[in-house]
Amino acid sequence: MSSPDDIDALFVGFGNALRDAGLPIGTDDVLTFCAGMAELKVSDLLDVYWAGRACFVRRREHFPVYKIVFREYFLGENLTDEGPAKRMLRSSANAGATLEIPNTEEGLPGEINPDEVKLGYVASTTEVYRHKEFAECTDAELRQVRRLISRMRITPPKRRTHRMTRTRRSSTLDMRRMVRDTMRNLGEPGSLQFRKRKEKLRPLVLVLDVSGSMADYSRNLLQFAYSARRANARVDVYCFGTRLTRITRQLDRRDPDDAMRTAGESVFDWDGGTRIGDSLREYTREARRSRLGRGAIVVICSDGLDRGEPRALSEAMESLSRIAHRVIWVNPHRGDVEVYVPASLGMIVADPYIDEVHSGHNLASLERLANRLAKVG
Amino acid sequence: MSGAFDDLTVPTLTEQLGEQGYIADRGLATTLLLALKLGKPLLLEGEVGVGKTELARTLAEMLGRDLIRLQCYEGIDTHHALYEWDYARQMLHVRSLSQAELASSDEDLFSERFLVERPLLQAVRAGEQCVLLIDEVDRADDEFEAFLLELLSEFQVTIPEMGTVKASTRPIVILTSNRTRELHDALKRRCLYTWIGFPPHERVVAIVRSRIPDVSTALADQVVSAVNRLREMELEKLPGVAETIDWTTSLEALGAQSLTEEIALDTLGAVVKDRDDLEFTTKSISDVVA
Repeated sequence: MSSPDDIDALFVGFGNALRDAGLPIGTDDVLTFCAGMAELKVSDLLDVYWAGRACFVRRREHFPVYKIVFREYFLGENLTDEGPAKRMLRSSANAGATLEIPNTEEGLPGEINPDEVKLGYVASTTEVYRHKEFAECTDAELRQVRRLISRMRITPPKRRTHRMTRTRRSSTLDMRRMVRDTMRNLGEPGSLQFRKRKEKLRPLVLVLDVSGSMADYSRNLLQFAYSARRANARVDVYCFGTRLTRITRQLDRRDPDDAMRTAGESVFDWDGGTRIGDSLREYTREARRSRLGRGAIVVICSDGLDRGEPRALSEAMESLSRIAHRVIWVNPHRGDVEVYVPASLGMIVADPYIDEVHSGHNLASLERLANRLAKVG
Repeated sequence: MSGAFDDLTVPTLTEQLGEQGYIADRGLATTLLLALKLGKPLLLEGEVGVGKTELARTLAEMLGRDLIRLQCYEGIDTHHALYEWDYARQMLHVRSLSQAELASSDEDLFSERFLVERPLLQAVRAGEQCVLLIDEVDRADDEFEAFLLELLSEFQVTIPEMGTVKASTRPIVILTSNRTRELHDALKRRCLYTWIGFPPHERVVAIVRSRIPDVSTALADQVVSAVNRLREMELEKLPGVAETIDWTTSLEALGAQSLTEEIALDTLGAVVKDRDDLEFTTKSISDVVA
């Protein structure tokens, strides 16, 4: 019964069971695990548990799934009747990881689909929709508009980095290169070399209000977020109503409609109430802990009709303005007026901390927003 | 595989780490043991201040090896991580050569004596004499990760002017990440992975006591309870094990016998390191000390 082959078969079977549950297990992982088990003088099942966890699991969110599969496989416990996919999702939600779908392939950073970038605006029909307010569009028109938005070209904002790169002419000499050239010429000084700071994409964070009145506008902005994400790997998208949900991962899908649907499914409070302050507070807390949102351009889309405490909103905005590079607020009620005066209580409270307010109520205004984003870096 | 760790088992490893003042749980000890036996790099993720870096330090101490540390940061490149030529010395050397010597100086110029070794090259050369700690790898750029990938699979470095340096034996490699961004799966696949969370109450007390032998159990217990309450307070920056040790050290230095509100207020800076958090905790200090 316990010949080495049997034992290896048992371990390989365990690897397969994990793979069936949705964990990304490769053959090399199984090999590592078998080699590890041979090295360890296994005294009890706990050793197998920890060794397997070290070899098979590479994300913290996967620990709960691993635990379930281990118990089912080695202890014969039947813990759930749900399919593997469901279990995967439920477990990752339990781990508090914001609705990640662990199985989707991540796009490579900086991967830009040349077609999508170069397309620019589609002519003819665009003009018709450009100035029509989203609120007045029929469903068919809205679909058309969303297609247009998804093709909108977004130049991601940039920042200068610490790193230097070679350039033709600037005010900084590249001493290292010059010394190197001199060395190459056996001590004869060569020509002047220059360097400049490299540029890097700034992270763009969209925080979208999906409650009642704002749901439609936010769906458009989600489309906007989608195209931004396609052009630039450093886009993070959050939705909020009563609480904050991160939906960045859902936007990894290739097809916009598909991505929208998945994103929509993972937000629980479409059309709920609005607690802007609390949601933003949640965002800043996460951003501060992880440094993810530091130096980012944060675009908030909301009408500012807040049901929470005004004080919470003002504190959250203050904190946000300290973390973010720029805070841009998209409020459809702003309209096309030249001088903007904040109307709702939420907007008045938040106003001191906002760098720019855009309306985003029609295509033309979204275009303006896209143009601004390229410049605020 | 490497032979040196044949006799090591999970309990003996835990015990040896314990002797050095590092209290590891079974999961961490098993993962570390596997990494040692299989010669694979170990990737540690976890909150700030739970002892990721400390593990590498302890391991080096325990095995009597050198710790070579590479601190990652944004913009780190091969010149900081691998090697660099000492340009100034090269220049001086060229100046001092006669015309006749110049012609044959090229080989000489790019040789060992003008090479400045950086941590990764050091580690490749030292092989199993060292523990290589690549700290906070999540801070480095993506490109650097790709570079690490190559190094971690081959353990060889190519210097164009000199040729390839290959490690005769593999160093023990420990990578840490605070998880400010997701690392590439390719890098993760090369490593064994574990997550170090904030340990349960008893273990923190044990850690504090092993780090500061003079502290009384009662005080350690009080401090750890207070830190646990702080951790439940929704602070911006959660205090970790390192802060707990700092706090206890401060209290010990002040000769405190127990944690009172007054002395807690005076030493709060050791454990709460954010202005907003400090304001908040100062107001509710009675809840913290309880």
